Parts: sequence; structure tokens; C-alpha cells
Amino acid sequence: MKQRVRSDTTMLLALGGMALATTVLGARKPARPPRQALRRQAGREIPMHIAAASRFNHSSSLLALSVLADSAVEHYRGSFKNPAMFIPLVSASLSFFAGLHGGHDRRAASHPVRHGIYAFAAVAGIVGTGFHIYNVTKRTGGWSWNNLFYAAPLGAPTALLLSGGLGAIGERLRDQPAEDPHLLGMPAGSALALAVSAGLLGTVGEVGLLHFRGAFQHPAMYAPVIIPPVAAALMAQTALTRPRPRPRTRWWLRLTAGLGLLGMGFHARGIARCQGGWRNWSQNIPSGPPLPAPPSFTALALAGLAALRLRQTEK
Amino acid sequence: MQHPRARDRRAPDVFRKGGWVPMREYPCDEEVDFVIVGTGAGGATLACRLAEQGFKVVALDAGAWWRPLEEFASDEAHQQKLYWTDERICDGENPLKMGGNNSGKAVGGSTVHFAMVSLRFRPEWFKCRSLLGYGADWPIDWREMWHYYDEVEQALSIAGPINYPWGPPRKRYPYRSHELNAAALVLARGAEAMGTAWSATPLATVSAPQGKSPPCVYRGFCVAGCATNAKQSALVTWIPRALKAGAEIRDLAMAGRIETNDVGRAVGVEYFRDGAWRFQRARNVVVAGYAIETPRLLLLSANHRFPDGLANSSGLVGKNLMVQSNQAVWGVMDEEIRGYKGPPSLSINEHWNYEDKGKDFFGGYAYMSQGPLPAGWASTQNGRGLWGAELSREMQKYNHQAGLKIVGETLPQERNRVTLADEKDQYGLPIARITYAFCDNDKKLIAHSLHFMEQALEAAGGKEIWRQEDDTCHLNGTARMGDDPRTSVVNADCRSWDIPNLWICDGSVFPTVGGVNPSLTIQAIACRTADRIHAIAQRGEL
Ligand SMILES: Cc1cc2nc3c(=O)[nH]c(=O)nc-3n(C[C@H](O)[C@H](O)[C@H](O)COP(=O)(O)OP(=O)(O)OC[C@H]3O[C@@H](n4cnc5c(N)ncnc54)[C@H](O)[C@@H]3O)c2cc1C
Ligand code: SF4
Repeated sequence: MKQRVRSDTTMLLALGGMALATTVLGARKPARPPRQALRRQAGREIPMHIAAASRFNHSSSLLALSVLADSAVEHYRGSFKNPAMFIPLVSASLSFFAGLHGGHDRRAASHPVRHGIYAFAAVAGIVGTGFHIYNVTKRTGGWSWNNLFYAAPLGAPTALLLSGGLGAIGERLRDQPAEDPHLLGMPAGSALALAVSAGLLGTVGEVGLLHFRGAFQHPAMYAPVIIPPVAAALMAQTALTRPRPRPRTRWWLRLTAGLGLLGMGFHARGIARCQGGWRNWSQNIPSGPPLPAPPSFTALALAGLAALRLRQTEK
Repeated sequence: MQHPRARDRRAPDVFRKGGWVPMREYPCDEEVDFVIVGTGAGGATLACRLAEQGFKVVALDAGAWWRPLEEFASDEAHQQKLYWTDERICDGENPLKMGGNNSGKAVGGSTVHFAMVSLRFRPEWFKCRSLLGYGADWPIDWREMWHYYDEVEQALSIAGPINYPWGPPRKRYPYRSHELNAAALVLARGAEAMGTAWSATPLATVSAPQGKSPPCVYRGFCVAGCATNAKQSALVTWIPRALKAGAEIRDLAMAGRIETNDVGRAVGVEYFRDGAWRFQRARNVVVAGYAIETPRLLLLSANHRFPDGLANSSGLVGKNLMVQSNQAVWGVMDEEIRGYKGPPSLSINEHWNYEDKGKDFFGGYAYMSQGPLPAGWASTQNGRGLWGAELSREMQKYNHQAGLKIVGETLPQERNRVTLADEKDQYGLPIARITYAFCDNDKKLIAHSLHFMEQALEAAGGKEIWRQEDDTCHLNGTARMGDDPRTSVVNADCRSWDIPNLWICDGSVFPTVGGVNPSLTIQAIACRTADRIHAIAQRGEL
């Protein structure tokens, strides 16, 4: 038990330390804005928007990985009762590989297969949400807290939608000119930042519900409902105000990315606190806090960093 | 278990296999502030709260001090070690079945194997004579009780719904309600079909980690003792707190007599432990042995000054015993139910506790979903006369059974009572004779509930419905509290009218029982008593 307390304290300290570092570093070191719309990467100069698109591919693949692991565990727990429960596994796997592929692709044109995979993921996410809503409402009690807590989680398929969305945005960005790329009728950087902001808020909603179900029994459970909303607000500000260097936003996004990884550590502790702990992994991984969930914040924050970088080159 | 474990300044650590925690010890000849007999819902709570106030507390329990993680087997027969199965004589028109379903013998008392349902009284019940026309008024106001309910719900991390459909608003339950199993959903469907509300049951088992307790694993062995410590029994909540605050708890210590002195004050308790009778001196004695053993001990302690037993000038010690009726309807469902998955009573309908129209009886009842364990279920079937091939056929349907069972109010009657028999127990003490009969009002309530539940179960899809009419649960009321020394045994502070340093703090003090399980109320009263003792001590009137 002492050990548990100690490792919890260590994690809390790490979280606090990250927050402190963010504020201090963010305040101290005004970052140099990247003036040129070119980015040096692996010895080559590539257009800024392509670098951002690749980042979005990567973030999409990290999200997909999280969806893949999460839905595999959850749908296994649900005994794959409905064959449709395999769809997110297939779709997330495809998105994952598409993301890896896109992350290394420097071409200034979208890739039709990747694009198709992302569209599929987005549709699967929407349809999945529909299924989950149906699962909640068909239960006795309907829209009750108990069903929101324990029926199919409403927010889970949206992670797949997000993965598809981020990837698709990346693909469309590639089709834009290097000079002044636009998406959805606004500067591409703004569009990306807004997408990330919305994604963060959606994810926070899901986390808020599930941590409420867990009665916020550990103080660290508040972190993911406090830190990412600030990141979402900063992203919205980035999108909607004039581009300028934003060191604090950058550090806050890094903090959010770190939070996702640290969250996994906390969830691992949560599994250890279940009866039998990790020795009883085959029961406690499915029934404890979801191990793959927190890295969604990392994925979104990384996408946010790419959006920020692009936005800072815009006028 | 033969030999006490709590000794040599250490006690079993309930959270670690083979573990120990330090425990303060008091010599028997030291006059401690309080000696408490019984460490269940009433005794453990009070021991903890008094020790936390700085009083020197010694608590005795006749039962053993178990470490749930290593000593609670998934075996209904083995777990009978948790029950009070000492001999008793039961008579009257409706002789009670004593044992597992109503009494525990362990450090932690009956809460070690209780079903964790944690409900508040309906406010009017505290004044049911004045407001509802039956029973007796409590000397405590419901608003004060509401405050203490809050305290106990926090202390036990009760997992309950966000909105409870009945009664005045309450604070949010500290933990969220558990996922409903199929048995609970049967109740829900039936309740909706009958046009009443239903709810997830507030339960004393955690739905997320709490301190050293892991979340509930939904294996459903609750009434045979929880082997994970998810259940927030007195054993894993108040007792560890009490130890930390400096209380000493003596396991396998059977109190046989409370001594009083010439001026009529209690001076200590004689108890049997480790093969010998011993005597613990104390400035105050608290009896918390539950509604059979409490009056028994008071009657056993009769002496020349108090020939009818202690605290008995009203003649009411042992009288007004109230069980709660525990009848059920059962049926077979098309779908698989597996009611044993999870705590047994995950959903509840309190409609008839709060609705007074349409009743031909006083009082109320709640009914809950059920999850009987296999051996218990087989014995229920034996009770119906099923045996051999017939029993085997019926047991095949076990996974499809669903049931609804009441916790029903019974009225206080003086003829329902605990007295001493001539027979002696293993300690050489006269055993309790328990006399019980339902009154007409009780029978009408039961009939109403069976009729209503039958309709609800049928509406939920139940087939082959049958009634189980013989069960009772929970024991209360043999040392009732009140405002008047002539008609009650203790006052609102659980202090006896006759002997100012003798207190009774358990289910015995209930003037009425209401239609909800009693443990939350017992613990709330214990918390209140602790605060009252604090206030009285401050005034120098202890
Ligand atoms: C199977 C079962 C399920 C239940 N389910 C629920 C439920 O879901 N919800 C609810 O609210 N209530 C429930 N109850 C009832 C609840 O457990 C009791 O009402 C409550 O524990 C009574 O508290 P108490 O302090 O009066 O007595 P207890 O908790 O029974 O404690 C009395 C203790 O005193 C000890 N004792 C007695 N006499 C002596 C003596 N002479 N010397 C030393 N020690 C002595 C006993 O060993 C025992 O440990 C249930 C009870 C049972 C048996
Ligand atoms: S179902 Fe929960 S409370 Fe009941 S015995 Fe199992 S873990 Fe304990």
C-alpha cells in the first residue's frame, strides 16, 4: 500500500512538475517564429503545410492505435455479439497504417487510398456513435446516468471519427498550394487548430463522464478535465486571432501531450488497484480504467503543435 | 477459530494477507472511559467515533477477527463461520429462523456478511405515531438524522444514483451506482409497467477504488462475506479507523454480565476470553450486541438492585422485537438472468414506503431485485417441499430465475419479545428465548406486497411465478428509545434512563423499523450518540 501511495505521489509530482515547467519555460523563452514556410526535416527542406499534413497523419495513427486497443478490449468484453463490432478494429488498423505511411510521405498531393481509409474511419465513427446511442436508449431507463456510465460509451466511436477526420484534413492539406494554403474557407492553420480544439473538447466530455463515474476518487482524475480544455481554448484563440508566436500555447500543448502519456501510467496504477492487480491482468485490463484511452490527448496535442506551427507562418 | 488474534499490541490487518497493525492495549484493571459490547454497525461506529474524540475505548466481540482476503472462501457452507448460530429457542405463532439471514458473530458484526443496501428512513417515520397514526414516535428529528446519514454515507463511500426518486433531497452519494445486472433490470421493467419509479440501490460496496478497497468485482458472494474488501463493512471501515485512533478491540470475547455498584452505576463488564472469565473496568458501558443479544445481556445482568435486569424499570427490555418481513415472488424469465452476478439487490422500488394511498395497513415496504447463491437457492426450494428429481429439475432453471423480495415494516408489539430460557449455552449462560407473531397489520402488508410484486414480475415477463412467504430478516427494537422513562429504555442519546453510565447503541433502540434495511440508520444513530456523548462530556455530565 505504501508503495501505491508513493507511486501515486510520484505521478502527481510529475504532473505538477510538468505544469510548472510549462509556465516557467513558456514565460521565459519567447520562441522564434518560423518565418519561412519551409521546414528542414531529415536534411530536406519541405513545405510547411506538408510537414503539418504529415504530423496530422501521425496524430491520426496514434489516435487510431488508441481506438484499436480500446475497442479490441471493450468489444472483446462485449463478446463481439454483433459482427459490426469488428468494424472499428478493421478501420482503426487501416487508419493506423495509413497514418504511418502518410507520416513519411512528403509528396504535395493527397493519396487516394489513404484518403479513402480516412473517410471510412470517419463514417465508421459516425455509424458507431449511432450504434452506441441506440445501445444506450434501448436499455431500460433510457437516457439515464446509469446507462450513460455503463452502456456502450457514446464518446468512444468519436475517437475513430477524429482519427479519420485528422487524417482526411491532412490529405486535403496536401492538395493545397504551398503559398497560403486554405481549408474550409479559412487559412489552413486556423482550420487545423479548430479541428484540434473540437477534438480536445469532445475527448474531455468523454473523460469527464467516465471520471465522474469513477467519482474522481483520485485527485489526478481532475487533470484531464482541467488541462485539455485550456489547450482547446488556446487552440481556438490560435485559430481565430492574428497569427503570432505563441510560446505558452506550445508549452501547454506539450503539457497536454505529456498528460496523455502520464494518464496511461495512472490507468496502469488503477489496474493495479483492482482485486488481484496486474497478476490478474486478463480480468483487470478489461474492467479497470482503459489503458489506451489517455494517449488520445497526446495525439490531439501533437496535431495541435503541427497546427500551431503552420498557423504561425500564416498572415 | 479458537484463540484470540488481537493481543500483544497488534491486531489483524484486514487489508493484507497475514498482516498485522498496531493496536493500543489497556489492562483490565484500568478504568477505561468506555467498554463496548459488540463491534457491528452500532458498536464499531461508536467505538471509532469515541476513540477519535480521545476517549479510552475497549470493544469486545464474541466473534472472530477475520482477514477477508485470505479467509473468506467462495463456499456458502464454510462461510457460516460468520453467523451467530449459538443455540436459541424460537417460539410464538411465527417462530423466527435465526442464523445467517439475521445475525452475525464477528468483529464487524452482521455487516461482515450483510447485503450492503444502505437506505434512509422516510422522514415521517421518525414521527409515525403523530403523523401516520401507528407505532411510536422517535425522540429524534429527521433533519438531524439527515445530517448523520450524510456522514455515514461519506464514511462508507456509498455507491448510489445521482437522483434518488424518493424522499427529500440528499447530498450526492460519494460513489456512482453500480452497473445493473439482469435481475435488477427485471425489477426496473416491472416497476415501469406498474407506473412506479425505480432506482439503482445505494450500496455499501465501492464502484471505484477507495483507500485500500478495490472496486467491486461483481462476483456476488456478498452475503457470505466479501473476499475482496470492496464491501464497506464495519470490519474494513470503522474498525481500522478505531484502531488508528487508539481503541482496543478484543475478538473472541463474550460478555456475560455487566456489573453495577451500590449506587446503581455500571462499573465494568465480565467477559469470557481465551478460556477464562475476565473483568474490564470502565466508567461507561455500551451494549451493542444487536436486538437479541443486547436484551439478553441486560437480563443476564440482573442483580439484587436491578432484579428485572439492567435498564428495565419500564419493563420493556426485550419487548417490541420487530423483524422485517422478507417475502418474495419468483419467476422464470426467457432470457438468462444469473442474478448472482453482482451484489444481490442492485435495484429497488420504494414506492410503497412513500405512497400512503391505496393501502389497507400501516407502514411500508421496499422491494429489491435478488441474487440468491446456489446452495441458498436449493434450500429455498427444499422449503417449497422440492426434493430429488423435482428439485433437480427446478435447479436447472436457476440461471433464468428472477425474484422480487420485500423488506417490510412490522409493527411493535410487546408480545414479541426476548426472554431468558432455562437452557444454557457453551459459556454456561441462559440462552435467549425469542417469541414472535405477525399481527394482522403485518399480514396485510405482506399480502399487499406479494400481490403487487406478482403483477410487476409478470409484467416484466416472469413465468411460473410462485410466492415465498416464510422469510424474515433484520431484528430491531428490544430496547427502544423515547422521551419518557416509563415507555422507553433509553433516551434519544441512547443513554439508559435507569443507569446513567449505561448506553445501548445498536438496532435494539429502534421504536419502529420502517420499510428499509436498518444498518445505515443504526450507524447514523451511533454517530449522533458519539456527538451527544462529546457534548455531555464537555458539560462534565458524563
Ligand atoms: C444476511 C444479512 C443481510 C443484511 N443485509 C442488510 C442490508 O443490505 N442493509 C442493511 O441495512 N442491513 C442489512 N442487514 C442487517 C444489518 O447487518 C444489521 O441490522 C446490523 O448489522 C445490526 O447492527 P448491530 O450493531 O445492531 O448488530 P451487529 O452488526 O449484528 O453486531 C453485533 C455484534 O455484537 C456481538 N455480540 C453480541 N452479543 C455479544 C456479547 N454478549 N459479547 C460480545 N459480543 C457480542 C456479535 O458477535 C456481533 O458481532 C443484514 C443482515 C444480515 C444478517
Ligand atoms: S459482489 Fe462486490 S461486494 Fe459482493 S462479494 Fe463480490 S466484490 Fe464484494
